[in-house]
Amino acid sequence: MVVEMSAQHPAYDALPADLQSKIFEVFEHQGQVGMRCNAADQRTLLEHFRLSQNYDFLVDVTAIDHLGKDAPERFEVVYMLRALQSNHSFFRLHVWLDERLASLPSVFDLWDSARWGERETHDMFGIVFDGNPDLRRFLMPEDFPGFPLLKDYPLKGRDERRQFPKVVARGDRMVEEEPDPYPTSIGRQMHTPDYIEEVRRDSKPRE
Amino acid sequence: MTQSPENSGRETPVPSAATLEKELEKGWKDHRSGVRPSSVSSITDDDGEGRMVMNFGPQHPATHGTLRSIFTLEGESIVEADVEIGYLHTGFEKLGENMTYQQWVTVSDRMNYLSAINNNVGYSVAVEELLGIEVPPRCAALRVIMCELSRIADHVLCVGLQGMDLGAFSVMLWSFEKRELVYDIIEAVCGARLTTSWTRVGGIMRDVPEFFPDLVYSFLDEFPPIIEEIHGMLLNNKIFVDRVKNVGTVTTEQARSYGLTGPIGRSSGLDVDVRRDRPYLGYENYDFKVPLQTEGDSFSRYMQRMEEIEQSLEIIRQAMATLPKGEVVHDDFKTSLPKKDAVHKDMESLIHHFKLVMLGHGIRPETGKSLYSCTEAPCGELGFFIASDGSDTPYRLRVRPPSLYNYGLFPRLVEGGMISDAVAVLSSFHVIAGELDR
Repeated sequence: MVVEMSAQHPAYDALPADLQSKIFEVFEHQGQVGMRCNAADQRTLLEHFRLSQNYDFLVDVTAIDHLGKDAPERFEVVYMLRALQSNHSFFRLHVWLDERLASLPSVFDLWDSARWGERETHDMFGIVFDGNPDLRRFLMPEDFPGFPLLKDYPLKGRDERRQFPKVVARGDRMVEEEPDPYPTSIGRQMHTPDYIEEVRRDSKPRE
Repeated sequence: MTQSPENSGRETPVPSAATLEKELEKGWKDHRSGVRPSSVSSITDDDGEGRMVMNFGPQHPATHGTLRSIFTLEGESIVEADVEIGYLHTGFEKLGENMTYQQWVTVSDRMNYLSAINNNVGYSVAVEELLGIEVPPRCAALRVIMCELSRIADHVLCVGLQGMDLGAFSVMLWSFEKRELVYDIIEAVCGARLTTSWTRVGGIMRDVPEFFPDLVYSFLDEFPPIIEEIHGMLLNNKIFVDRVKNVGTVTTEQARSYGLTGPIGRSSGLDVDVRRDRPYLGYENYDFKVPLQTEGDSFSRYMQRMEEIEQSLEIIRQAMATLPKGEVVHDDFKTSLPKKDAVHKDMESLIHHFKLVMLGHGIRPETGKSLYSCTEAPCGELGFFIASDGSDTPYRLRVRPPSLYNYGLFPRLVEGGMISDAVAVLSSFHVIAGELDR
């Protein structure tokens, strides 16, 4: 991949050559630097930043859903790192993530703050962080089936109440009815032109 | 309770008063030195029978909101702690993707409702940085003054509630009274007390009233004695001091790894303060110290907040002395609304006004740009990550609430302690549910 360089950052300069080649873009906006890499190199790079360059403060973990946008992959997971020792140097690592995979190695062993950061990202986007010991639902109820920050999740919700298990009379017995399968788009290869057009049409709230 | 006395099948001899007293004393010493009381663990079988699971909250008075902790107890010691959050989840981030940049200011009030102005300012600073605009000096100074006033109100309330939870109820009443002085100023400045919505992207809603300096100066005169009074009420209270000293100790390493910021991070020796490390709104022009504690226990968190109040008073004094005159709204009308009387008289202003309030127009940052911006809120580092797709609504608006990462350590911290210690730790952590759950 072509390395696009529009900015410089000490964290990029201090990378050894083999890791530098894994970062394919360094971009800058208002003096803040971000780097882009692929999901396969995320763990290697973060390990290097934590252990060799001493970026000891993971400010936040979050993600962006690019459904319906002209983006290489559907998900972009963002790690915000800060080195408290070296003048609070700050940058972001943006990781492209395939929606069919929708999983990344966890970094909770490098920073404890990743435990809850990853848990919230999982709760909101359905991205799985392999190895994180506690990926239960976080802000949503424990039996909630959807992932609310996905772009195809409508603002008003999807009427989750009908997904709650129902007890119905069947013959002379009361039985619990299985809920309908939940219409989530994660991992279903819905990043198709038709679906994107559908989402784009539905996601125009005011006209 | 998993086990009741009737069906336990175990005959427990009634201990004599002397034995009980001795055991209590030993347990107390063990507890202070971090050893789990042996008398407690002996009643538990290997398979954990005899443990009790207790729900602490979401409606316990000491949780101050909707925090739920699930404690597994052996006697009165917490063996295992887990927290469940999200009771106040309102989808602020999802709302942000469906509201324009100016509209979301009103949502930011509802995060930390004890210091709403800090949220307003934090959000506005983030959007301004994304757009690359600078607010006029008078606006910046006013924002600093109001932020610091709000920080004082937040800290003094936290200290008061800490006293209330730990056997010093009168402190809460006294701190509430002095907090009213701040709320009077906030009311005079923006008309609301709690949900202020005071800032706009590019400025503030309107200039402060003429009597604003009088209010602030009388506050600066009236407030400092309360610091001595609170110290006097709490430090001479043996119950309070015994319950917070050496309880819930956070090491510097823990603070760094768990991402603790604000008074909690600084009280455990982590030297972070966004106001000093990454100055915004001209904080570099004010001369203030960042207090640091080394112990990291609940007591040092109390001391930290009280010292920060003094520094905030110092910043307000300096900002009031050098308060510049001039406009309070950025003069580029591509991003901020022109004055109302100009809109009525002048066609250009009318066009700008329409362009800003029409849906699909308004403030539109460049396509594909994103930025993380942080400010120092009373609870810690309040960050906003905004990604733009060139439309008038953010494509992604992520809030990094300080309470979320601060609270992440809480279950690990109370394990091994007693239930009453959990109350002491929780009140010193000052977790705001609105901000935690968003």
